[in-house]
This record gives sequence, C-alpha cells and structure tokens, in this order.
Amino acid sequence: MTQAELVFDPFSEEFFNNPFDIYRRMQDEAPVYYHPEMDFYALTRHEDVAGAFKDHETYSSAYGTDLATVKAGERQLPMIIFLDPPEHRHMRSLLNKAFTPRTIQAQRDTVIEQIDRFLAAADPDNFDVVQDFSGPFPVEVITRMAGVPEEYRQQVRVWIDTSLHREPGQMEMGEAGMQANIETAMYYYGLVQERRANPQDDMISKLIAAEIPDDDGNMRQLDDIEICGFATLLGGAGAETVTKLLGTAVVNFARFPEQWQKLLDDRSKIPAAVEELLRYEGPVQYNVRYSLKEAHLHGVTIPAGKPVFVIGAAANRDPRAFTDADTFDIDRDRTEAQNLGLGYGIHSCLGAALARMESAIALERLLDFMPRYEVQWDRLERVHMQNVAGWHTVPVKVLR
Amino acid sequence: MKIEVDFGLCEANAICMGIIPEVFQVDEQDYLHVLSDEVTPENEAQIRDAVRQCPRQAISIVE
Repeated sequence: MTQAELVFDPFSEEFFNNPFDIYRRMQDEAPVYYHPEMDFYALTRHEDVAGAFKDHETYSSAYGTDLATVKAGERQLPMIIFLDPPEHRHMRSLLNKAFTPRTIQAQRDTVIEQIDRFLAAADPDNFDVVQDFSGPFPVEVITRMAGVPEEYRQQVRVWIDTSLHREPGQMEMGEAGMQANIETAMYYYGLVQERRANPQDDMISKLIAAEIPDDDGNMRQLDDIEICGFATLLGGAGAETVTKLLGTAVVNFARFPEQWQKLLDDRSKIPAAVEELLRYEGPVQYNVRYSLKEAHLHGVTIPAGKPVFVIGAAANRDPRAFTDADTFDIDRDRTEAQNLGLGYGIHSCLGAALARMESAIALERLLDFMPRYEVQWDRLERVHMQNVAGWHTVPVKVLR
Repeated sequence: MKIEVDFGLCEANAICMGIIPEVFQVDEQDYLHVLSDEVTPENEAQIRDAVRQCPRQAISIVE
C-alpha cells in the first residue's frame, strides 16, 4: 500500500479538521517541508521550531506573520508582532511592565467579576461554552485594560472574528474582514484622539505619553497609527486566544474524563492543566516568518526571501521532545522540553501571565458550574481562521 | 561557570524562580536578582532547566 502524497495546505478543510496527522508525517518524512505551488517552507520538529523562534536574524517578522502578507513581500505596519530588533525591543518595553505575573494580579478581581457575570447568565441545560462564556469574557478584560469603554468591548470581538475568518481555500482576507479592519482602525483613531485630550489610567493613555528612541537615537512619541495598531493587537491577541483555549479545554476534558476527574479531586492541578492544554492543543497553530538569509537544516537549504511556517503546535506534539506526545496528561513531566504554546524568544506572548490567570480562574469556575457535563458532539463547529484553531461553538449539557 | 542575565530581555515571568528560588528571585518591583551566580554541580541541572524554560531566553551560562 502506498501512502498518500504528503501535502500541507494550511487553508484546507482537512487541515482545519485535524492538523496533527499531517504534522506527524511532516516531522517524520519532511522536517523541512516545501510546498511547490504556494512556494513556502515549514518547520515542525521541536528543535527546529524552537531554534527558528530564537533566531530572529534569520527568521524575520517584519514582513508579516501570515502567508498572504509575507508573500506580498512588503514591510508591515509598525505593529509589535511585525517588528525585528531593535525597534521590537523599544515597543515591547512600553507595555511589558503592565503584563508581568505580579502586575497582572491587579486584574484578578475584574477577571472573576466578568467570569461570574457570564456564568450567572448561562443556562445549564443549553450552555455554549464558547458563545456564552469563553468568547465574551476575555475581551471585556483586555479592552478594559486598553481603555475601551464598556459599550464597545463586545464590538471589538466581532471585528476580530470577522477579520481572522477564512473560508476553506481562502488565503487572503475577505471583503468583510477588510471592512472590519477599517472600522476597527477608525474606532481606535477616535478613541486615541479622545485620550489625547483627556488621558485616563489605561494603556492607550500610557502609549500616548510614552517615548521611544528613533533611528538617530532621539526620543520620539508614538504616532496615531502605531497606537491604533497596538490597541488592535491587544484586543485580538488578548481575547481570541483564551476564547479558543477554553473551548478546546472543555472538548478535551470530555474526551478524557479521567483528566477532568483529576481536577475535580485536586484543584491545585489547575495551573498544570492550563500548561498541558497549551501544549496539547493550544490556540495558535503557527507563525509565518520570512527568511532574511539562507538556512540549512536536515540537508535542505531554505533560500533567503521565502515564507517559513514555524509550527509551534506541531513541535508541542513532537515525540522527539515529549514522552507520549499525543497523550493528554495534566500530570506530565513539564521539564522535558519547552512548551511552545505561548511562543518562545523575543516575540513570546506578552500577555502570557494574563492568559494563564484567566484560564485558571475560568477552569476553577467551570468545575463548580459543570462538574459533570456532556458535549453535544453533533453540534460542535470549528472556526476557520488564519493561524488560530479552536471551536466556534461548544454546546454542552450540564448533568445533575 | 557563571549565570548571566540579559536584563533588557527579562520580563519578570519568574519561571526561573519557580524552578530554583535559591538562585533566582523576582522582587516586589519585578526586578530579577541572581542570589548567587556560581553554577555548581548541585544546582547545575536546575539552572540549565531555568535557562531552557525562560520564555525570553534572558538567562545564559558563561564559562
């Protein structure tokens, strides 16, 4: 029997439905995968993915982090995820103090309040974990930190979803996505003007007041485009990801109920469960980089000027790095290898501590709300998005 | 062998402190202190784990 030809098509229905079988074959058969029609490379082994995240001198973010924009070959807007050093370091330093595990503790009450608010409104007989809970609450927290007034916080989520959505086979952003981006930009532009006139204790006001060195070493303030870009990114990165992580969590705990039982028996395992969720099926599948110079791996040369998929979700399932890599086990030995679920290196997740806290509190509350539950498997629907994976709906019935 | 920290990269994630608090301490102002920078046979394995697990790659060991 001959095996089917190995094809990694990041916009195919097959990939959206189950990327992990394809990742395993890539690791074994083509650790430096090349897609001739789309003209990109892909790395899937843990060692190579971690190496690429570290090596920003070879694998640049400055041309975008998704295939369509990297292929366009143009320098991107000055958003922090699209910057290489030294500019990256300057921008990152503006907000990283606001996201340390210690400072993020100040958000704990807000997180609890929002989680309890959405769970209190939920119907245990007909509860959609994503639509009723993990979708609405994280965006409230991050947009509040950014400075978005309450009445616009859920609107921000709708814009993000629309902007990231892809139909199977679609690589570039659609009409609706572009419209959502324009509306997002216009909204934040207006908000920045309001905060310039009347600063508050929020991140947008902090960014307005901040200064970074320019190319000649003189200090300068951020312009409107940079501040709007940062605000847009915070909303997207800070909401979307936890939404997906928790939807996936409920599905995986239903598949492996003995793991849910471990949490019911011992809640001190919640932080370890969050780490395992990030490893086993984290929200971010991959980041695309642009090769600034030749790279040589496994006897293959990646030429300069090519898009390279750096697939963290594959690396997190690499049996070369993790024992029983395909087993979901919240008690696993976490010292075996770095968990790449929140990235690694200079672009590692700025909001990691917030993501961990939100996820841990949410799991804690879900253990109370639905100690026993059934997933309505026939009504599960996946999202189809560029680089993030997860569920659009996770309907459950709470058992009594 | 000695521990070296790039304080420009460090973002006080405190993962290192979780692994070996005798060596790494993040204080109330989010500053990382290296309490003893000597890598010894006793602490080497844990320090190497801290180097690897640091999400910022801010820690290294120099000869």
